[in-house]
Amino acid sequence: MEFILEINTEEMPPAHVKTALVQLKEKLKEELSSQNIDGKQIETYGTCRRLVVVGDFAPSQKDREEEIIGPPKAVAVTKDGTFSDAAKGFAKSQGVRVSELKVIKTERGEYLGLKKIEKGKPSVDILPKILPQIVSSLTFPKMMRWGESSFRFSRPMKNILCLFGGKMLSFSVGGIQTGNSTAGHKIYFPEKIIVRSFREYKETLRKMKVVIDQEERRTMILNQIVRKLASLKATVHPDEDLFEHIVYDVEYPHVFLGSFPEEYLNLPLEVLSTAMREGQKVFSIVKDKKQMPFFLGVADAYQDSKSLIRMGNERVLRARLEDAKFFWEQDLKISLKNRTKGLKKTVFQEKLGSYEDKTQRLKKIVSYLADKIEAKKEKKQVVQAAEICKADLLTEMVREFPLLQGNVGGLYAREEKYPALVWKAVYEHYQPVSLDDESPASLTGAILSIADKLDSIVGVAGIGITVTGSKDPFGLRRNAQGVCKIIIERKLHFSFSRLLDKVIAIYGEKVQEPKEKIKSYCLDFFSNRLRYIFERQGYRYDLISAAVSVGIDNIYHSYLRLNALDSLKESPSFEPLIIIAKRVNNILKDQPLFKINQELLAEKEERELYTTFSIIKNNILPLISKGDFPQAQRIIFRIRSSINKFFDNVLVMTDEIRMRRNRLALLQAISKLLIQVADYSQIVIEGQDSTK
Amino acid sequence: MSIQSLIMNLQRFWAERGCYLAQSYDLEVGAGTMTPDTFFRVLDKRAWKVAYVQPSRRPTDGRYGENPHRVQKHFQYQVIMKPSPSDIQQIYIESLGALGINLQDHDIRFDEDDWEAPSIGAWGVGWQVLLDGLEITQFTYFQQAGGIDLFPVPVEITYGLERLEMFLEGKDNIYDLNWSEDVSYQDLRFIEEREFSEYNFSLANVRRLKDSFLSNEKEARLLIDKDLLLPAYDMCLKCSHFFNLLDSRGAISVTERVKMIAQIRNLVSQIAEKYIARESSP
Repeated sequence: MEFILEINTEEMPPAHVKTALVQLKEKLKEELSSQNIDGKQIETYGTCRRLVVVGDFAPSQKDREEEIIGPPKAVAVTKDGTFSDAAKGFAKSQGVRVSELKVIKTERGEYLGLKKIEKGKPSVDILPKILPQIVSSLTFPKMMRWGESSFRFSRPMKNILCLFGGKMLSFSVGGIQTGNSTAGHKIYFPEKIIVRSFREYKETLRKMKVVIDQEERRTMILNQIVRKLASLKATVHPDEDLFEHIVYDVEYPHVFLGSFPEEYLNLPLEVLSTAMREGQKVFSIVKDKKQMPFFLGVADAYQDSKSLIRMGNERVLRARLEDAKFFWEQDLKISLKNRTKGLKKTVFQEKLGSYEDKTQRLKKIVSYLADKIEAKKEKKQVVQAAEICKADLLTEMVREFPLLQGNVGGLYAREEKYPALVWKAVYEHYQPVSLDDESPASLTGAILSIADKLDSIVGVAGIGITVTGSKDPFGLRRNAQGVCKIIIERKLHFSFSRLLDKVIAIYGEKVQEPKEKIKSYCLDFFSNRLRYIFERQGYRYDLISAAVSVGIDNIYHSYLRLNALDSLKESPSFEPLIIIAKRVNNILKDQPLFKINQELLAEKEERELYTTFSIIKNNILPLISKGDFPQAQRIIFRIRSSINKFFDNVLVMTDEIRMRRNRLALLQAISKLLIQVADYSQIVIEGQDSTK
Repeated sequence: MSIQSLIMNLQRFWAERGCYLAQSYDLEVGAGTMTPDTFFRVLDKRAWKVAYVQPSRRPTDGRYGENPHRVQKHFQYQVIMKPSPSDIQQIYIESLGALGINLQDHDIRFDEDDWEAPSIGAWGVGWQVLLDGLEITQFTYFQQAGGIDLFPVPVEITYGLERLEMFLEGKDNIYDLNWSEDVSYQDLRFIEEREFSEYNFSLANVRRLKDSFLSNEKEARLLIDKDLLLPAYDMCLKCSHFFNLLDSRGAISVTERVKMIAQIRNLVSQIAEKYIARESSP
């Protein structure tokens, strides 16, 4: 039978709508299954003013068969085949005749018992009980109260429509009594109207200028955009977040094309599109990556016959662009270099000092890093960029549009005719702001970005603030992920732990925590972030552990290790190697370190293993330092036959103590070599538990 | 079409919905929310409906009369309804109709914009209302004030009168607005904007302002001890204005800023707590 629930509210933020729809579907499914009601085709729809769930639910709960176990058969039935008192007592307690009892076989033996069928109750009786609880259990990032109730929701609820098989389901939640009516668009059709089926509901609302299906609205907007832009041969400056926001923010989308005076085109695209998006939620229009004097807005309306919506938006946008132009011109009156003087008074973090302090540290870090990655040509420029990169925090433009930090500094540096490698570094040094954002395109930007992020991470750790599940006030997780992303994409080779040492040393007295503690905290923090990145890329969990747990001194190598494991995991040599590694590990568990004495290698097989090991070692060490892990891996596979022969013919734990120690020493050397490629013991093979 | 007819329309509209029409408060405030008719009345458990025009001063927004949109003093039309009526959004939409706006021809949007005033421990949930992209109103369900959960929940509607009038008159420059048939915004306000910008940004005496802040802060503490909450609150409003002036003089360091805001918040929270204690005792 058809089920419809529509919760009508005042305007919810689009992000709230999305999470509510996911929760509604999940919770409804969960409750239905725990109530034994079949629910099919559960779909959700939503706008900023309504949450809708529909589905096809069984008219009643499934019948439940219940087995009631009585006394054991041996006790219940006497030798002559009659029922004992125990059986009679049980039958009586269940309200049945003894003859109705049946033999039930269980794991513990045969029992006497009976099967009862509990008839399912009609869904009509169940649903009104579970729905209020589902609705009131929805959670939102921020919740509110209204009127005289302590009920909390995203925004005030106004109406609840609930139908089952065309009839109203009656219940009340959050002070609202359900009904069989809905209301249309808040301006055009605010009156209530009765509906009986989902089809009627959807069609009625469409007539009342509400399209409930988000996918349909998305298509409507896209089609209208295409139509509006056809004659201009231009495109929308891509902005997925804004688009997604608007899809839920309107009940009936009307796209309009507005224009603005060409004099504002002197402003950079970044500034124009941000001014449009931030204040007014309209899209900027570009052609060949250049802004055109047009914008696209999406109104919650079905028409703009008098063009009042378009003209109103044009007027507001003009005022905004006028402001932006004013900021741009004012800001350019003071050079970035001059502006940096003000950074002394701008606090980066109370205990870590000002942005001037940060600037001085950044200059040292980028200079060190440029040396380490042999960016000789870029070193001068990146130091220059570090010097001015924070100056834009003091500009009017960044004060107005904080999201443009970095970009604005870069654009002003370009205006001031700094070399491309300098202004680009400034422009890009906050990138990537998330794992989906692009890394800096310039090497100078990459270096400055790593330095800036690492400086924050080390500093905050250095004053004893740790990032926990819910607490990450400085966005350090994203910063660390950004650093990893850049290193991996740029294939940067350098010792990460030495870079950490350097940054900690540069902080000097400013950080109070012990240096070793800061370092190990940071290494831990970064390996967790690295694991997260790899998991997100879809690598197997155990392979990630094998690659990361050997240490992340070279972050790019961690990635190569993982890749090698991933590409060779199907190789027939892979599993045997892992079994060997685990076996070696088990033998070596809790053993102190020993030294190999070649003269003590008595058996043929141990001598052969030693030879194989030495050859492999000599071959793979250069490969490892080059980062050629697949080849190193393939060579390691060759240890298999020697080591198997060794295990088959040589007793490691012999009573002869010197021999035993020597054999353990050989295995320790092998283990040490393996771990330079990966910690194979972390890898799970089917049918075996992972051993730690 | 004029600001005064806009005000008269709003007065009539909200009086008909049961609001008492208060007069503007006679101290400098940054927003209508800060006046006693809102601040105190939302705290207690009694129903309350009020509407009033409140001149609001934001010294840093001064532009010497040269910017067509920004002024250091503007006018808000403030409405408080407690408890929030279930159809308040529809009533608000009707109020725009009463101003002569035919909403069928426009795009009216309620855009998430939660409100927060850390200096008085207050926050609320709501929207900025956009009319064809122009922000004309803040619409807020108060949740807490003075760090205390509000019950019943008040709703606050704050119309920006100049914005709304610019929309109604279709003008791009605030100074071109009509205050009445014969008097323009330029006539009334231009010199005031120029002079106050000069004062706010250049001439306000930093030392005397800091002294005033301290002496009013001290006065507030004494008054709180004597349970004279309304006068104590006035002292806080004065502190808040001196703070804003110092800010526009660029005379407050980051640490000072934090400290001064904490001082005001602390006083205001004490006042709120005492007020609630007094109102809930028989």
